[in-house]
Amino acid sequence: MNRRSAVLLVAVVLVLAAAGAAGAKEGEITLMTWGGDFIPREIIQEFEQETGIRVHYKEAPSNEDMQSLLEANPDQYDLLVVTDYMVDILRQNGVLEVLDKTKMPNYANINPVYLGNYYDPTSEYSIPYAISISLLLVNHEEVEKLGAKPITTYSDLWQPELRGKVVVVDWSVEIMGVALKSLGYEYNETDPAKVAEARDRLFALKPNIVRFETNTPEDSLINGEAVAGFMYSNQAVKGNAADPKLQPVFPTEGMPIFIDSWVMSKEAPNKDGAYKFLDFIMRPEIAARIADITKFTTPNKAAEPFLPDYYRDNPMLNLADEVVENTSFYIGVDKVLVEYEHIYVEFKLR
Amino acid sequence: MKAKVSGFGIFYLSLFFVVLYLPVLSVVLYSFNASSSTAQWTGWTLDWYRQLFSDRVIAQAFRVSIQVAVLTALLSAVLGTFTAVISLWVTNRTKKAIQGMMILPLIVPEVALGVSLLFFFNALRLPFGILTLVLSHSLFCVPYVYIMVRLRLQEIDVSIIESALDLGASRRQMVRTIILPLVAPSIVTAALLCLAMSLDDVIISTYMSGPRSTTLPVHIFSMMRVGVTPKVNALCSLILMGTFLIIGFSQLITKKRRFS
Amino acid sequence: MKTWKRNLLAVPILVWIGLLVGIPMVLVVALSFLSRDHLGNIVYQFTLDNYRRVLDPIYLRVFLNSLLLALLTGLITLLVGYPVAYITSNLPPRRRALALGLIMLPFWISSLLRTYGWMILLGNAGLINNVLLALKIIDKPLPMMYKFSTSLVGTAYMLMPFMIVAVFNSVDKLDRSLLEASYDLGASKWKTFFHITVPLTLPGIAGGFTLVFIPALGLYFVSDLLGGGNTVFLGNLIHTMATRGRNRPLAAAFSMGMIALVLMVLSLYMKASKDKTGEGLFQ
Repeated sequence: MNRRSAVLLVAVVLVLAAAGAAGAKEGEITLMTWGGDFIPREIIQEFEQETGIRVHYKEAPSNEDMQSLLEANPDQYDLLVVTDYMVDILRQNGVLEVLDKTKMPNYANINPVYLGNYYDPTSEYSIPYAISISLLLVNHEEVEKLGAKPITTYSDLWQPELRGKVVVVDWSVEIMGVALKSLGYEYNETDPAKVAEARDRLFALKPNIVRFETNTPEDSLINGEAVAGFMYSNQAVKGNAADPKLQPVFPTEGMPIFIDSWVMSKEAPNKDGAYKFLDFIMRPEIAARIADITKFTTPNKAAEPFLPDYYRDNPMLNLADEVVENTSFYIGVDKVLVEYEHIYVEFKLR
Repeated sequence: MKAKVSGFGIFYLSLFFVVLYLPVLSVVLYSFNASSSTAQWTGWTLDWYRQLFSDRVIAQAFRVSIQVAVLTALLSAVLGTFTAVISLWVTNRTKKAIQGMMILPLIVPEVALGVSLLFFFNALRLPFGILTLVLSHSLFCVPYVYIMVRLRLQEIDVSIIESALDLGASRRQMVRTIILPLVAPSIVTAALLCLAMSLDDVIISTYMSGPRSTTLPVHIFSMMRVGVTPKVNALCSLILMGTFLIIGFSQLITKKRRFS
Repeated sequence: MKTWKRNLLAVPILVWIGLLVGIPMVLVVALSFLSRDHLGNIVYQFTLDNYRRVLDPIYLRVFLNSLLLALLTGLITLLVGYPVAYITSNLPPRRRALALGLIMLPFWISSLLRTYGWMILLGNAGLINNVLLALKIIDKPLPMMYKFSTSLVGTAYMLMPFMIVAVFNSVDKLDRSLLEASYDLGASKWKTFFHITVPLTLPGIAGGFTLVFIPALGLYFVSDLLGGGNTVFLGNLIHTMATRGRNRPLAAAFSMGMIALVLMVLSLYMKASKDKTGEGLFQ
């Protein structure tokens, strides 16, 4: 191949590639959030058929990727679903649109207990979509076999009988949170004396941990390598479905809560279409089907009658009021993170 | 002439292939698992294949990924070979500069590359999609082609080049008749590596795929929050079987050609 | 052709990479000296704090950990991959193409799935343990997961083709008459291999090592999943800092540390290989 044909080939490659790209069209909206069925495709298809608005679904692996993508091209995305703390960041960075509730009659279906939180005190910028908490999933039978006493609190995870039998999500803030809560303190404590106490407490937990895993911690309980795990509720639901012996425990010291919320880009190209979509997914029967597919707790109060029986009977999905009252957000992560991360690495290297 | 491969050599190679394919075969096996979790085996099913065929998102992501991988391999093969060949007769200073530039894509943090390219291509108003994916993937693929081609060029006798030129051969003729045949195996093997790297890139592709397209790895990684289902295993099993068929066919064809 | 004219040919490629990769690299260097605000946004204020943190003894242990993982990965891929490349290059042409195709094929499948594949094999309730239990070779499952060695096996597996292809390209162009001459002079097969073949393929080894060592420092999910998160490597730390940690300046400083490590090891290695062959890959 000589140089001219090489240059020609490169040119052909580029032209072919450019031909594949399309410009923006009317009558379409672009969403961005996690992939899979986080927003079920069948629901999106129904919306497309009903309204004739084409929906593009940009998948991103993390909140931070979504932030970078949105802030680079605010005029290319209409709607995003991000976790509470990211709503806070995007809001303060001024990239979010104030939502016009009059365009969404179904907004009235949202349960007010999930509104007015730290990340959006006046609930102007965000609409709750999927709620999850962290909790313990426990194989009580196996715990008993090991000679440990039944697990009802975080503190019970420290029992020496549980050596190498505990799995936890892999994130410094949450694991420090477990240690802090077990001492009766609050999340993201900054008082050096309390942090030092939590650090020592945490180090004592190390022998019991078999694995740190963020995405599929429930697998360790299903295959029997762990008897107790600290994980997100949607994972615990899956673990429980795979093996009914795995039962949720809501630690009495309190649990973290996460609210994944819809937000709209300030420069959204199709705001009307975006409002139509938000209103559509807040319909009671649609919200119920989304909850059924995604296995997250729905903030949609009116959806309750439409929820399947298994969902209503499941305490991890249909969160009891006293459970929700015992939850709190991780607020002020930025103040503690560098310190916590350092403790966490030290903890892991032990 | 080639040395003959001993029986022990064949044994070692076979053992290597067994270990190489064991994890891949478990991926294939679990595409038939009734449970969506790899932690338990609850019986055989073809459900994941059925779901796969009705999933237009994964099909599209797969199509984009294949297109990008093939175009990236072609583009990187051309650019990498070109760079390696011209480094035969540039001055030493330029050669050093080329070598420095070729190590750069290997050490630059991927997120930094992804975010910077996002702003850069934005400023150029390039449409995000296959074009930007191919351009960005070839950045980290070109050095691999360069290194592999250089490995074969390394001991080429500079005097051969000089005497060929003295005898009136043009540079182009020399490249075509001497150099390219010599480095062809390098180009092919490096292009295969590029294909694999492009098919596996997540971070840069997240930023480069734009609001309208997704590649397969981005699709898989963004699924992790709600769970990666064996549907993906099913797709990978099909890719594997398809490639096996192609390899088998090409072996058959070359065999025929040889004996006819 | 005049000298400047020859050099001119290199300009497009230098500009292309220099612009698209060089600028991000410069930005990372700059970023590592900057601060961030409480939202994780970058603040244009010079600081050395990030480097002060990187040099903390705990994090130095992470560097050592990663260095060990990357060096061992290089060693394993070399020991396993060299013979594979050598044998493959000696196969008849059609078989050779087949072998190369089979070597590359698994790597067209998502590395995440292949990592899950290893977990299916090595888990306590995994395939290997089940087979061994069924054959009554063991009476309780061998614990094979969540160790440093598990991360090592996974990392070496992911990077194996880079070593094989590099060594293959080096072995394949060997002047076989040299080997013949060695045999004729009465040298044994092994002696010829270690005294002629290996030194002549050192550039391939250096190239393969480079292409294995650098990614081995940066891979994060392989060691997370197979190592069970029980050890911390640089790749994981940088990934956490850059994403959920929302501390990109600190992540940049860690990346600079990683790059320093790469350049240090490579320059040592290149010096050694240059002494032997007269021309190192990057010299």
